[in-house]
Amino acid sequence: MSEPQLTYAQLLETNNLIQQNADETYWLCATRTVQESKIFPVSAYILFSYLNCWYRYPELLRKIERHMSAEEIGDRARNQGIKIVAWCLPCFYLLGREMLINWGVITPSDGVKDLIYTLDFWKRFQLSWHRNNGNLINRQAGHRAQVLPEQRLQVFHADAFECRDGDPLHKAAQSFLATAAQYGFLVSCESRLTLHNHGPYRISDKREMLVRDFLELSESTVPWLDGVGGEIPYNNLTVTMILEGCHINLLDDWGSFESEPEMRAEHMVGVGLYTADTLSEGHIPVGMGSKEALTATFIDLTERIKTATAALWREMAGWTRDQQLDAGAITYYAVIREFALIAGCYEMEDWMLIDERAERFRPLLNDEYGNLFLGELVGYISSPSQRMHDYTMMQHTDAPTRSLSYIPYSILEDGNYTASVGPIRPGDSYLPRKNDRYRTTQGVFSLEEFMRRSREFVPQVCQPQYRYLCADWVKYNAHTPLAEALFKLEQQHSRVLKDAGAGLRRDDVETRRNPT
Amino acid sequence: MSTLHSDNDKYAWQSTFAIVEAYNAAVKDLVRKRFAEFAGEWNDFVAGPAYDVITKDDIAAIEVRLLANGYRFEPSAMSSAAERPHAYRDSGVNLADFSFEHPAAPTAESDAEGRELRGVGDNVVSRKADLIGIARYVRTSDKVLEYLTQGVPPNTIAVVEDSGGTLTAPVLEKFTGVLCAGGTTRSHLAILTREYGIPCLMNARLSGIRDGDRLMLEVTARAKTADDYQTGADVSARVFRLPPA
Repeated sequence: MSEPQLTYAQLLETNNLIQQNADETYWLCATRTVQESKIFPVSAYILFSYLNCWYRYPELLRKIERHMSAEEIGDRARNQGIKIVAWCLPCFYLLGREMLINWGVITPSDGVKDLIYTLDFWKRFQLSWHRNNGNLINRQAGHRAQVLPEQRLQVFHADAFECRDGDPLHKAAQSFLATAAQYGFLVSCESRLTLHNHGPYRISDKREMLVRDFLELSESTVPWLDGVGGEIPYNNLTVTMILEGCHINLLDDWGSFESEPEMRAEHMVGVGLYTADTLSEGHIPVGMGSKEALTATFIDLTERIKTATAALWREMAGWTRDQQLDAGAITYYAVIREFALIAGCYEMEDWMLIDERAERFRPLLNDEYGNLFLGELVGYISSPSQRMHDYTMMQHTDAPTRSLSYIPYSILEDGNYTASVGPIRPGDSYLPRKNDRYRTTQGVFSLEEFMRRSREFVPQVCQPQYRYLCADWVKYNAHTPLAEALFKLEQQHSRVLKDAGAGLRRDDVETRRNPT
Repeated sequence: MSTLHSDNDKYAWQSTFAIVEAYNAAVKDLVRKRFAEFAGEWNDFVAGPAYDVITKDDIAAIEVRLLANGYRFEPSAMSSAAERPHAYRDSGVNLADFSFEHPAAPTAESDAEGRELRGVGDNVVSRKADLIGIARYVRTSDKVLEYLTQGVPPNTIAVVEDSGGTLTAPVLEKFTGVLCAGGTTRSHLAILTREYGIPCLMNARLSGIRDGDRLMLEVTARAKTADDYQTGADVSARVFRLPPA
């Protein structure tokens, strides 16, 4: 059977998705400095990861979709609180392509069907994950990420405990946030890929809620947490922060935020703590029985994370450069591994190794070349492939440049293109192999058992009768038994709203939270 | 010799940095050579034979040629220069009497209060009072390990160049203040100091500050925002050296 022909519409859409990523990537990079570290060769490992993404993502995404569609993964991500910094998927992959174009290893007409598929997968995932605000990326929403549905937000709102700067809960929460953020930077080799934020969500005229996720804390997929993370009882933790006197005016596609005025400790007036993963029914409260219990939980977790931080730092400081390069590259490349975990098809060999096609280029990646080439690709936009005709005025800079190369439309007529980079090739790593312990909300399992459970597990809110009950449906059907059932699913673990049903408005929740 | 797709670039442009241009040109030369040896069509070469005939050894040879010309790379990670001193310049990280010397650092003689201006930085969070402490350079993992095992001396203003959050991870919380010669108020180190409530100046342009100097950081200054960076607004907090207490 012959392959389906490419269409003009496919290329138009793919190039549009490329451009959307190009615009946002430049803005994100221009408003931040290049990450640096005396421990990690950061730019070098970032470039290394891009190559691995180019060579491996298309096949791995196809493998994932043989088990679960991108749209369904998006539903799980939204409903189960699974966080994926989804800007990474297209941008890492496309920047790998851009590197190889500048090296002459490929042309813009190579891997075309891979490109179309990979960007289409990303689009379908994003639209599903973001279906509550209808945007593909946070940038389209004016840099805002309102991901969660009303029923989840009501529970977060209702169950958050009040706190004030200096009181025991506030102090414990603040210390946890700092310690967990620091651990996150270390776990992710100086990147912020295990830290994520979404929101803001309006709590009252004076208050907003920011939802902050701390991921990959325990023994899970990365080998460097074997042992080190063993005493941390949750792999993912979500902190709900209610802020007063501070407006989150930007939440970007890296999951980082800015506020007006600059957020300080005293702005936090409410806090909650949850865990979630691919095997959980949404967010499960952690230490949320009382204010005292939550304070003690934060203190206990902070101490455990501090111990893990010191142990991990000692381990990483003793790594060889090749080990540092691999760990960083794998952190970046495998940022979308959650897709495979959700779909129940995660394999260590797919996600924790450097493909031999990328490995060929390791000797190029010294510190200086890494810093400067990455700087040219994402900051200066000065690589030869990025130069356009002289009339061009790039968004943000007005320069005659374009961050990411399009697929040439000429291939529709002349057929001069290649479809794919081909199947996954063997990989390797200088790091120790991951042990077979994976912490989940259902227990610690071997990978085989973890994946068996993932394949069998469908959260209740993702069951067919609930899956398509969106905000627009709730708006007109809150009086129905089905809406009651939907809201009660979310409320089953709530201290304040258990069995409250679908009829509450935000002010009703506030009243229940603080009855006078 | 075969030509590559990019050899016919109408808007032919060179990379900004010489080493990037040199490396990328060398890889292109390699691809040209291997493609010529293949003696077939590009579409039959690129996603198959190319994987096997463009090898890691070929790529390694590019660096060998560059180093043979006397070139040495600028290090950023400590492991890079430590493992391959023949390939990297000496970063001076182990100099005993080190001080940051930024060409744009504003300096001035002591004022009436004995405050000697030694530079400026970008304030992460505006505080209610300026910060006084003792400058201690933290530039290596050995220094961090020393602090981890023996404790951070009281009243330490860590003077660092690394704007990341990993080098100082196990001891950052113990610093009284941080003065960072790199990054911005959006860097990881800045984010962490904000979370910990530690006064911090980033992107500091400094001159003549030595280990053990008594410093005052003007952390009551306005915090520098993303908008300030985009508009190029001059929002700086001063760094003074004070007479010994």
